[in-house]
Amino acid sequence: MSRILFWAAVAATVAAVVAVPFYLDGFWLQTGLFAMSAAIGAIGLNLLTGATGQLSMGHAFFLAVGAYAYVFLAAEPTGTLGGLGLPTPLAAVLAVLAAGVAGGLFSPIASRLKGAYLGIATLALIFGGQHVLFNAGPVTGGFNGRAVPPMELFGFVFADSPEVVLLAVPFGSLERLWLLGAVLLAGAAFFARGVLRGRPGRAMNTIRDHEIAAGVIGVPVTRYRAGVFVLSSMYGGLAGVLLALVFQRTVPEYFGVLLSLDYLAMIVIGGLGSVTGAVIGAVFVSMLPQLLTRYSDAIPLIAAPGSGGVSPAEAARILYGAAVVSVVLFLPGGLYGLLRKIRPSLPSIRLRLARSPETRSSHVP
Amino acid sequence: MFRNRIAIAALAALALAASACASDKATGGAAPATATGGDGVKTGPGVTADTITLSLLTDLTGPYASLGKSLTQAQQLYFEQVNAAGGVCGRKIELVVRDHGYDAQKAMAAYTEVAPRSAAIPQFIGSPMVIALKDKITTDKLLTIPMAWATGLLGSEAIQVTGTTYDVDMINGVDFLMKEKGIKAGDKIGHLYFEGDYGESSLDGSQYATGKLGLTLVEQKIKATDQDMTAQATAFKKAGVKAILVSVGPRQAASLVGVSLASGLDVPFVGSNSAYSPLLLATPAAPALLKDYYYVTAGAPISAPLPVYQKLIKDYEARFAGQPLDSGVSTGWTAAMIIGDALTQACAAKDLSREGIIKAHRSQHAWEGGLGGTPMDFSVYDQPASRASYVVKPDKAAVGGAVIFKEAAVSDLAKDYQVPPAS
Repeated sequence: MSRILFWAAVAATVAAVVAVPFYLDGFWLQTGLFAMSAAIGAIGLNLLTGATGQLSMGHAFFLAVGAYAYVFLAAEPTGTLGGLGLPTPLAAVLAVLAAGVAGGLFSPIASRLKGAYLGIATLALIFGGQHVLFNAGPVTGGFNGRAVPPMELFGFVFADSPEVVLLAVPFGSLERLWLLGAVLLAGAAFFARGVLRGRPGRAMNTIRDHEIAAGVIGVPVTRYRAGVFVLSSMYGGLAGVLLALVFQRTVPEYFGVLLSLDYLAMIVIGGLGSVTGAVIGAVFVSMLPQLLTRYSDAIPLIAAPGSGGVSPAEAARILYGAAVVSVVLFLPGGLYGLLRKIRPSLPSIRLRLARSPETRSSHVP
Repeated sequence: MFRNRIAIAALAALALAASACASDKATGGAAPATATGGDGVKTGPGVTADTITLSLLTDLTGPYASLGKSLTQAQQLYFEQVNAAGGVCGRKIELVVRDHGYDAQKAMAAYTEVAPRSAAIPQFIGSPMVIALKDKITTDKLLTIPMAWATGLLGSEAIQVTGTTYDVDMINGVDFLMKEKGIKAGDKIGHLYFEGDYGESSLDGSQYATGKLGLTLVEQKIKATDQDMTAQATAFKKAGVKAILVSVGPRQAASLVGVSLASGLDVPFVGSNSAYSPLLLATPAAPALLKDYYYVTAGAPISAPLPVYQKLIKDYEARFAGQPLDSGVSTGWTAAMIIGDALTQACAAKDLSREGIIKAHRSQHAWEGGLGGTPMDFSVYDQPASRASYVVKPDKAAVGGAVIFKEAAVSDLAKDYQVPPAS
């Protein structure tokens, strides 16, 4: 019985996700796509920070590696800009691998440092990385960045042209990317859940909670730390590729320290150590400012931009800071922890989800 | 298992079918609706029977917040007056303001949100943001006025860079130094510039001009976040420069001029149009700026004796009491006028579709709008609309903190200059 319920729930979710691009307009699809990309990146960071207890401030760097590697590999070379002109799906896979390699190069450091010390070391990645992005003109396009070639999968192009009309709804680049993003996010979440539920997940949690105990029971601590760092970088790289496809242009300014902080905020707000938590946090952090801006005229206390008073951007920052503080003070499990707490009152949903791994961190790194 | 999969497929298909039936988006994929209203005027997105919606994509919380505020308020004032006089084509103008805080992602999201319901964009701050959206704006045919003057913005029919570009300003600036400040062939001049297309576009101009005139250029590149210009001033002094070009923000300009004078480097400075703000006259750098600092710009400063500006000063002070009258006020007003005139012309041609608005705008070969200076040519879009720049000098007593030092003129060098092609 529970199995049928489960598959019905999955079917309903799939149907809902597929239906979205038929209904919502570009603004919502774009906001949703940014949230999907953020969710993939946040899942990766949550494996590292939430599940293994390693703080990383360098997540934006791996997003940048993914985004720029995809552009460089997929773009045809022009007069001033280099490129390899590879088929786009191959370029995307290689870009994710490139982010993994970048993480691997850093792993001698990542495996030896723990917690906040790693956070400080990874900060260097951001500044070094941005310097390269700004100055390696032939590869990155410098300050102005470069245009992103659209993804082409089995002859289907994720761009506005050629025009595709599905059931009388025009399918532009956002509608098409929405489906791609949903598939990527589902795959990323499924894989991470597998990692967390299995042997590696338990080892990672033990490293986080008690490093010496982990060593004593035979967990190769340094190797695990390095491995998780590489995996988390690859998630960052995938998020970067999706982001580049949505943006249609990569600009170096975006991949700064603020983006890394955003990612930390996402996993803290959503809930450390779980996939669902990362997704909830990513949706919250990336959608809040956009929603406040869009509905600024309808929300009390928030002034329309340009009329003085608290602007939506400022309000979003205040709310966002308040959310971090209140989560740290009152909800150690994040929004996901809150959901789990109120779930017993909803017996029907309890069936499946009660089996999710118990990987909440008892402390915030 | 198998039966379940079939059920899923059936459910999904059902949902798909159901969704398509009731969707607002089900337009059959025709191009954005253009229709002809009861008054015989063809309308496009952002235009209804009684309103025309325009969007301002501005920066009210980021590094250009004070500029963004002045631009936005000036444009709000302009369209309030247009509405009070009956609007355009019998329609009221509605403004939608979106703040992107100088963040490319937010700018992109804001554009996606407002573009489908806008007829034009009279203000879009930030060349990185506009360049990121250049292809989209071009395909959307949405007439846009960027608040940036880099050459990379040229080359799109829908984007109108007002006046000169940064490189043309710098060529006219070097010409001014040669003619009036005693710089001779063989001299060295310095150029302090921002990383990014503002600085690099300016550098194109100074390299061209110094190459043609037999001057040596000493370059110093800084980041927008750098504040203290002591190292750069020392480097210029060591190189023995006879004049310095300045393509940075107002704060860095003030730091450079102050530090240079204090260390005995007493040379003329010529800035780009974004390298000065009247707020600097309230800082300790004021005496240094008042001494031998100029900036080059296509738009007359607000203190120019033009009836349009005198009325603007009066109205702006009445509407926004106590707000500074900086260059953003005149620039924003000018851009609003350009859009207002394009709409009026499009109305006369009975075509307020996006194509119609651009066509009306591009049909103007010599737009002047009572703002003095040389008229702008909107019919070409791969060249700057004008090549004439004013030389303006800070002045404490003047409204807006600056007065015209030399009337707008095109230097011979700027006339022959080939704008680098957009990449």
